[in-house]
Amino acid sequence: MTVPLLELRDVTIALRGSNRRMVTGVGLSVSVGEVFGVVGESGSGKTLLTRTVFGLQDDTYLAGGTVSFAGRTLPLDGYMKAARKLLGGEVGFVPQDPYSSLNPTMRVGEQITEALYLAKRMPMNGTATRQAAIDVLGEVGIPEPELAFRQFPDQFSGGMRQRIVFAIALAQDPKLLIADEPTTALDAITQRRVIELMLDRCRTRGMAVILISHNLELLRQSVDRLAVLYGGQLHNIAETAAIGHHTIHPYTEALFDCIPSKGKTLEDIRAIRGEPAGAGFGLKGCAFASRCRYAEPICVESDLPLNSAAQNGFTACLLGRGAPQ
Amino acid sequence: MSTLWTYARSNIERTALIVAALVILMALFGGLLAPFDPLKIDFRSKILPPSPEHWLGTDGSGRDVLSRLLVGAQMTLASTAVVLVVVATFGCAVGIFSALVGGAVDNMLMRLADVWLGFPPLILALGFAAALGASLEAAIWALIFSWWPNYARLTRMVTVDILSRKFIASADALGVGTGAKIFRYILPNAFDVLIVQVTLDISAIMLAISGLSFIGVGAQIPLPEWGAMIADGRSYVANGWWIVLAPGLMIFLTAFSFNIIGDMLRRELDPTSRRR
Amino acid sequence: MSAPLVMLQDVAKSFGRRLLVQNRSFTLSGINITVNRGEVVGILGESGSGKSTVANIITRLTSYDAGSYVYDGRDVSGYLKSESFGFKSKVQIVFQDPYGSLNPRVTVADSIGEGIKLHQPQLGKTGREARVRQLLDEVGLPPDCGDRYPREFSGGQRQRIAIARALAVEPELLVCDEPLSSLDVSIQAQVLELFVKLIRERHLTIVFISHDVNVVRLICDRVYVMHEGRIVEEGRAHDVLTHPQNEYTERLLAAVY
Repeated sequence: MTVPLLELRDVTIALRGSNRRMVTGVGLSVSVGEVFGVVGESGSGKTLLTRTVFGLQDDTYLAGGTVSFAGRTLPLDGYMKAARKLLGGEVGFVPQDPYSSLNPTMRVGEQITEALYLAKRMPMNGTATRQAAIDVLGEVGIPEPELAFRQFPDQFSGGMRQRIVFAIALAQDPKLLIADEPTTALDAITQRRVIELMLDRCRTRGMAVILISHNLELLRQSVDRLAVLYGGQLHNIAETAAIGHHTIHPYTEALFDCIPSKGKTLEDIRAIRGEPAGAGFGLKGCAFASRCRYAEPICVESDLPLNSAAQNGFTACLLGRGAPQ
Repeated sequence: MSTLWTYARSNIERTALIVAALVILMALFGGLLAPFDPLKIDFRSKILPPSPEHWLGTDGSGRDVLSRLLVGAQMTLASTAVVLVVVATFGCAVGIFSALVGGAVDNMLMRLADVWLGFPPLILALGFAAALGASLEAAIWALIFSWWPNYARLTRMVTVDILSRKFIASADALGVGTGAKIFRYILPNAFDVLIVQVTLDISAIMLAISGLSFIGVGAQIPLPEWGAMIADGRSYVANGWWIVLAPGLMIFLTAFSFNIIGDMLRRELDPTSRRR
Repeated sequence: MSAPLVMLQDVAKSFGRRLLVQNRSFTLSGINITVNRGEVVGILGESGSGKSTVANIITRLTSYDAGSYVYDGRDVSGYLKSESFGFKSKVQIVFQDPYGSLNPRVTVADSIGEGIKLHQPQLGKTGREARVRQLLDEVGLPPDCGDRYPREFSGGQRQRIAIARALAVEPELLVCDEPLSSLDVSIQAQVLELFVKLIRERHLTIVFISHDVNVVRLICDRVYVMHEGRIVEEGRAHDVLTHPQNEYTERLLAAVY
């Protein structure tokens, strides 16, 4: 078994100040070159988890567990600093909002050459750096990359900006790309183009991707495996191919059943009753129990099992539903 | 009142609330508590230092400083209240009207307010004093006259923001009338921003009234208005420091307290400084 | 067959570019939309396609520059003041953002009861209260939650309150402007179920504005596809959304997950 690129073991995330635990007991691993999805509704902890693990969140901290990247375990003391060191080199980040994530006063080209300088120490004004930047702009499908190099971000549409953000990440040639709802702000047609292009380029380069989304159907069609978060707990890690075909984890199933995707009729859609649990409430028992159609008393009483073994599939269901075959 | 207390996060804010409450009580009941007639001149007992009989001493004409302070609280705060009520009501009306009508009228009113704000209140007050004779009334008129554009502009800005929210479109779709829109939709939603401004302005207007009285265009000297009291005590600073210090401290404490309360309210109520 | 409820003919509207404001000038043109009684009509388009402007024109929240709008056989441009007021009890709208569409300073019961007070004053206080409770129950909220304020409710619950507020005046036509888009996935399905229930039980005529191809396919009888201020395709929702004729509709469908 090869060493995974990123491995989380029993990761717990708490708020600074109140020490309230927002995300508990998450264990997952992403291998080199894998396209991995994280799905959850608002308040599930999906964004909090990734942002904290990579030191981007100021108001939370890693309260327990271990995070290893490329075989190195990051220290709990000074975690944020250590995690941030990975960014802008080994880990690239594409945030949700393409409108605020680019510096509006800097030319597109400068922003990419700066990234190249920071990650690879390429000279800011060299011809080679310039060519590398133009190449990467071309790679993400920007028409006329030479022209784009000299333009400012506000001369581009949302989809093009997100490609530029992606180009900046790509320029640093990271081993892992984190994309947090990268296309939520975009139109359907643009969204699909950007996602497909992004995943295609990453696969070509052998880069691993963690794609975070609230859209299970998008992930099902885009990634190989996905982690399902709910109420700050890890509930399921599943091969996307199984969803909609085999018995799966009850929440994953419920989430899948309430999406009006292609080919479904009105009768196929089953809403989940109740309101989504916010992160920070899943401390005892299964956070989904109150909305689950299979729930039994044990679901409220017992603690969720942890995904400690580095296995491909995982179900936290206390009734054992959706266990990997 | 109890809600205000729960907003307080530090001892300074709690102290400010207590001081403000005491000052308001003073303004309401101070006249009843005054041990002496605040206007009674008695040259035999002039410039007496604080003593068990005259807690805060007496002034240059032998009047009891504590009594003057207690009665003056009413004069100072009542003038402030009059200015604020008139200014806020008129300013709000202009602001809401301007925002609702929009277009050229809106533009014209707001430019007028801008130009209006260019007049320094002090010059206006001098003008009013010349026309009406220097008096507390003249100072009040001058402040009303110069202060309303602040409220017109603030209310207009807040109203424009409220009008762009979807619940206004929803009210339009139901056919809600203009009056109901103003009183059920606009004013309640503008209240938080306005109350912060009013609280902050209490100290500003109080200082302005006292300041105008001090330079002689507001309340005239025998009156126990705090600013006038300082003006009166100027000549005795060397041998009667308490005559100036007592009203000075009161002005400072009151203004400071209302300022702190205003900042506290802004923190607690202003939607721009609050997470949803 | 009776006359259509809504008939927009060659409606056009343009928004000028405002000086120094980054606001793409935008035009709506050649809008022909017919909505028959009892139909659920979808208007499908991406952001910026002009579909929300069409919603506002149908509910008369926005004016139009050219063309005509005939509601229930009468051109709305000739409305008298009383007719304009009456129109507001016949056509109601539900907006996308459940956080912004309720007055935060008014209790839920007062919000829902406001339209009843305006349009059916004869009901009186007790009659109104009974109706509000019944409406709350109909949209799936506890009937006794009326004295609470919007901030105490989740997004999905607020959207139910907004729907109850719109239904309170017993409208003939309900215009829904992206009513599901800002809700969580599991809540979207709940509110969708509510719409299906309302369509079945109330026989409402609905104009459903959405960017979600799948939702439109599931609940609409007919659909108009909008792109850049024009209607590019129309027809039976199932036909258009399974066998599109227009190149843009085709691209849109291919992009949907």
